[in-house]
Amino acid sequence: MKQEDFYWYWLTNIDGVGRDTIRRLLEVFKNPRSVYEADEEVVLPILKTQKQKKAFLLSRDKDRIQSGYQKLIENRISFIHQDMTEYPKRLRVIPDAPYSLYVKGHLPEEGRKAIAIIGARNCTRYGMEMARFFGRELSKCHVPIISGLARGIDGMAHVGALEASGYTLGILGGGIDQVYPKENYRLFIRMQQSGGILSESNMGIAPSPGLFPQRNRLIAGFCDGILVVEAMEKSGTFITVDQGLEQGKEIFALPGRVMDEKSAGCNNLIKLGAHIVTEVEDVLEILQIERKKVPKLNDLNRVEEIADKMSLAPIEKMVYSCLRIEPKYLDDIIDELKIAPQQICMTLNRMVISGIIAETARNYYAIKL
Amino acid sequence: MYRQVLSGTLHGVEGTLITVEADVSEGLPVFNMVGFLASEVREASDRVKTALKNAGYLVPPKRITVNLSPADVRKEGSFFDLPISIALLAAYGYIPEEGLRNTLLIGELSLNGDIRGVRGILPIVDFARKQGIRTVILPYGNRKEASFIPDVEIFGAKSLKQVVEHLSGNSCMEPETFRRHEHLKEPSFSVDFSDVKGQRTLKRATEIAVTGMHNILYLGPPGAGKSMIAKRIPTIMPELSYEESIEITKVYSVSGMLEPESGLMKRRPFRMPHHSITAHALIGGGKVPKPGEISLAHHGVLFLDEFLEFQKNIIEMMRQPLEDGSVTISRLQGSYTFPCEFMLVAAMNPCPCGFYPDLSRCHCARPQIDRYLKKISEPMLDRMDMNISVKKVDYEELYSEKKEETSEEIKRRVVLAQEVQKRRLKPFGILYNSQIPSNILENVCALGREEKALRKETFQQYGLSARGASKVLKVARTIADLDHSDAVKCQHIWEALSYRLSDFYHGGDDVV
Repeated sequence: MKQEDFYWYWLTNIDGVGRDTIRRLLEVFKNPRSVYEADEEVVLPILKTQKQKKAFLLSRDKDRIQSGYQKLIENRISFIHQDMTEYPKRLRVIPDAPYSLYVKGHLPEEGRKAIAIIGARNCTRYGMEMARFFGRELSKCHVPIISGLARGIDGMAHVGALEASGYTLGILGGGIDQVYPKENYRLFIRMQQSGGILSESNMGIAPSPGLFPQRNRLIAGFCDGILVVEAMEKSGTFITVDQGLEQGKEIFALPGRVMDEKSAGCNNLIKLGAHIVTEVEDVLEILQIERKKVPKLNDLNRVEEIADKMSLAPIEKMVYSCLRIEPKYLDDIIDELKIAPQQICMTLNRMVISGIIAETARNYYAIKL
Repeated sequence: MYRQVLSGTLHGVEGTLITVEADVSEGLPVFNMVGFLASEVREASDRVKTALKNAGYLVPPKRITVNLSPADVRKEGSFFDLPISIALLAAYGYIPEEGLRNTLLIGELSLNGDIRGVRGILPIVDFARKQGIRTVILPYGNRKEASFIPDVEIFGAKSLKQVVEHLSGNSCMEPETFRRHEHLKEPSFSVDFSDVKGQRTLKRATEIAVTGMHNILYLGPPGAGKSMIAKRIPTIMPELSYEESIEITKVYSVSGMLEPESGLMKRRPFRMPHHSITAHALIGGGKVPKPGEISLAHHGVLFLDEFLEFQKNIIEMMRQPLEDGSVTISRLQGSYTFPCEFMLVAAMNPCPCGFYPDLSRCHCARPQIDRYLKKISEPMLDRMDMNISVKKVDYEELYSEKKEETSEEIKRRVVLAQEVQKRRLKPFGILYNSQIPSNILENVCALGREEKALRKETFQQYGLSARGASKVLKVARTIADLDHSDAVKCQHIWEALSYRLSDFYHGGDDVV
């Protein structure tokens, strides 16, 4: 452990001492080491509350600091602070940049244009499939996908990127080891292996509502464009969008039906001047990313044609053709196809297993994009 | 003078014999009753004295001692008024001793000497028959229910006077005729499967569930027809056999739920307790344990609507009875066993608002749904064999002129497939596919090479547990039976997979 790392680790891990206080301390002492070695009479007046003062005095315990740092190493978490070359360049320029970061896996390649795909946690299947589709197709063009590892749109964007074996970074609201929501556990594990997970907070800090807005500024900070897939009129997503605008990032939004409240936020963004996205190419063009051949969303409407291309058995083709993105109930499929129900059950289950379609709830089936 | 007569009481759903002894001797006039009596039995002394007087029998004041033996069995219920008064009258010399031999007496007296009906007649008479008793005198209102027991002469008495005359040899009562065959005439149901429009999958799954007696869980929005289908399940179940009918009637007789003139239970029970039910009412209980809803559903259907609204611990209590087919309740005076072989049908909404996965109407957040579904514990879910979603039928289907299948047609298939099952499973001492224990499962559902490969693939892909996989196999066995197929084939397994429970909590969402 380098001397410098030690002092940075100590300074950013004092209870009740946040970025504001650290800034004030550094304005006086220039670097963490001098803060550490400063006389109490000089430091304490800079701290505002009694709690901070108490915590500060207790914090200068070499063994505790070292064992905390050791724990990070044991868990393969890298501690990155502002004085390191590894510190991401993009973050240096954002307002109120974090002094230190915790990273599992690796950080996105410097200089490559990245996209944040974000949206509501409570979303429709249309939203989820779109998030996955954009995550996957943009990944195929080597665009890192940044998102918040949350439920709904965020998670699906990561899933899409992983499907294309692309790079994806999940930025957490809680501590670096906090899986929230719990059902994303498997995704969490896969991402730290083949992508990256980043947090501004040390291990053991539980996610709390207050931490998410600052997490959102990092999501905005890491990307060049923000794609909002689905959001209601009032949504945490817009904190990220506001941060992005402040940092001068491009804002993209996927349009939805005007009556659909789950898309009202996106439609509003478009009204206010966000780029409207109806194809993957729209994003690539504006961000001037080298284009690869990407499937046209418009074509995906024609399920029959896709079915033709997928080299399915005749009965599978029939079943597939009658499915859509929105889930369909088994009875309706049977009524539509007029094939023996047993045959249909068999075909549906077989296609679920081979991953062509999804059973979104018991006996409800939908295609995957 | 000393005399004794035979009577009986209940222990759970079984009867036991009680000897009622009366002794009349000189001394201070008292009426003493002994023999571990509950208060309702103790009260009999007042009823008996008054009834005797009003029936016109002179009982001079003497020292009267009545003993109910065996002394270590607690005597409950109102069975003993009649035997006590008869024993007393015999001891006073009104009735010759030989009239009492091999005769069982049961009945409650009213103050004017009329005989009132009691609950629990059938088990007592059945037990008496097994003990070799050939004559039973019981309340007129209970005569039908008892007349289904063979080899016993049943006399339904309306008043004390009638009984005394009869026992004195001046017979004025005709024995009831044994009517074993009457029960075969099953009354028609007021509901029918053809009332349900559409709902193809729901009907199919229900048919499979009934055929193999698999427990089934319906998931669907309010008003989709979950309860409607459940209420029609008894209409497609095979008719009751004589033995089954006797078993059910015993439970209802003990519970006092038999219609006075009904005789045997002719229909399979359909029980639908409200979700505010208490543990004792569901499982059975009380100071003197009475059968609960699970026993009242014996050989029939227990339908729990709004499954999640039931108290969790109460649902948990059903686990062991579901496995064993009987429930044992222990009390200070002893333990009571009630039968409870029933098919469990449960219905619940898929989310708090009820509309998931129709996301245009469902406004529940995913964690809300998860929390909602987590209310059923995993072990409870393990007791369910099948799970199916129900969707509201649309207008066209609801009012279409299309003829739906009647219960009669479905029942024919069910009966046929059940017969195959019974023949196959008889050597193992079970009746239905749902009861197949794991050690003979491989035996009964032998799989070919192709089927084994399929099982392996689906086991991994769907993340089935060992129990989950064996449930799928059992359901597939039933589907094959309905298909008249000796072997369980791939198509049967595929269909069974549509009703699996494995990824219940995730609703099958394909996140990672």
